[in-house]
Amino acid sequence: MQYAYNNNILPLKMKFIQIFFFLYFLFNYNHAYAYIDPGTGGILLQALLGIVAAVGAYITLYWRKFKNFINKIFKVKKKD
Amino acid sequence: MNKLNFEHGSFRDPAGKIFYRKDGVYRELSESGIKRFTFLKKDNLINDLIKEKFLIFTEECGEKSNENFGIDKKKLLLKHDKINFISYPYEWTFTQLKDAALFHLDLQIYLLNRKAKLIDASAYNIQFKNNRPIFIDILSIDEYEEGEYWYAHKQFCENFLNPLVLSAKKGIKFNNWFRGNLEGVYTHEIEPLLGIKDFLSPTLFFHVYLLNKFEEKSKIDPKKANNKISSLKKFTKKAYQNLLNQLRDYIKSLNNKKTISNWDKYSEKNTYNSKEEERKLNIIKNFIDENNPKFLGDLGCNDGKYSEYASKKKEINVVGVDFDLNVLDRAYIKSKNQNLNFFPIFADFSNPSNGLGWNEVERKSFLKRSKFDAIIALALIHHLVIAKNIPLEQVLKWLTSLAPTGLIEFVPKNDPTSQIMLKLKGDIFPEYTEEKFAENLSKLANIKKISLVTNTERKIYEYSIK
Repeated sequence: MQYAYNNNILPLKMKFIQIFFFLYFLFNYNHAYAYIDPGTGGILLQALLGIVAAVGAYITLYWRKFKNFINKIFKVKKKD
Repeated sequence: MNKLNFEHGSFRDPAGKIFYRKDGVYRELSESGIKRFTFLKKDNLINDLIKEKFLIFTEECGEKSNENFGIDKKKLLLKHDKINFISYPYEWTFTQLKDAALFHLDLQIYLLNRKAKLIDASAYNIQFKNNRPIFIDILSIDEYEEGEYWYAHKQFCENFLNPLVLSAKKGIKFNNWFRGNLEGVYTHEIEPLLGIKDFLSPTLFFHVYLLNKFEEKSKIDPKKANNKISSLKKFTKKAYQNLLNQLRDYIKSLNNKKTISNWDKYSEKNTYNSKEEERKLNIIKNFIDENNPKFLGDLGCNDGKYSEYASKKKEINVVGVDFDLNVLDRAYIKSKNQNLNFFPIFADFSNPSNGLGWNEVERKSFLKRSKFDAIIALALIHHLVIAKNIPLEQVLKWLTSLAPTGLIEFVPKNDPTSQIMLKLKGDIFPEYTEEKFAENLSKLANIKKISLVTNTERKIYEYSIK
């Protein structure tokens, strides 16, 4: 079987597109014009970016671990 | 004792106030300002910032100066280097604003490594020393506490990111928008202009689309948003640095969307030949040799051919002004690449920057900032008189108020460029003759020399104020 993804970049890009559409529809409501608060939105965005980065880092870490694990198995098999 | 006239633009931060003297810019620090300055002196941060060319040269004046200026002894007096020409972001080209944005992010990244931060992201705190941005507001630097969020993120987007995106993605020049709103381009203004294709960029998706949604949510229920913020986890330094680096990479990749402008090809396709060009350059050279101006204004500078020539001839600083942002951007890049003493800025002389902001004095008018030792106004006046219908007499009055001496080129009606302008308008300018030009100029100044430039009777008049 041939795998569609042959590098690490493609799954990440796909992940971004998934997150993009999820968040796009989540927040896609009518414009509001009310009291303007300075900077609150920016802080909330940074908190989200912090989470996205942390999740991304975890995914990368476990993906690497998983790859190393697979590689190890194959290497062990080769030695046998 | 002379009463100190404090800078009108320096009222927002109670930590310090600015006043000017011939030898430099002085800053009086209050108690909170002294606290911030003490932090800056710790670990030699201030000197390192000056050495790295991030910060304008700054020194303490000593108690004696307090006495001389009649300033309370409890206050601390600092002296900064003077900037030749104070400019504002709405007078910058795309590349100038882009360089200022990258400079701001570089400074933030540097400061974070030194346990410091910028407390705001105002583009007005950056000025240009010819072709290099420099930070002028030392009181915007303060101690960084681990876990802090970037509170000036919104301001950074409005002052830098959004105007650049407006230009790069939509081909809309940010200058008039920025001048209309000194805080820049709001996120809720730019978001509807961008499409799904633009939001496929993670930076635009997060920093424009999502930011706008978060801002809207906070507007609907500010209490809930504030509660959410107080329950947030700390923002790690690593996340802070990543955020700055990502924005830096994105802004670095932005390019001005190509638009066609009137004067884009002027220096290649102008109507005079190389001999006439050489004559013009010679006239400028002689004028500079004889008058030795330290600060020259090149009005209608186009891509800076004459500014470049002048700035190479002598140790002078040249400010070039034009209303075509495409050619100005080229001029700035040239000044940067060749490290010229030349600073090009944007102004439409028929509508230059006025006094803006609080009390209409927070940002000074173009005219108030334009005091040159000499000016050159080559191939300019016919654009004001014929294209903009400004009476010749008024144009000359304005030009001669900018410097005690200068060169003004008279372009007659039979010149090909004047002919193009007159063709559609019709000749409604009976006063626009060389005779009237000379008559009006001689009322305002002494005409020192008249030099012929082209065989279409273009002439350069040298004048000095009576």
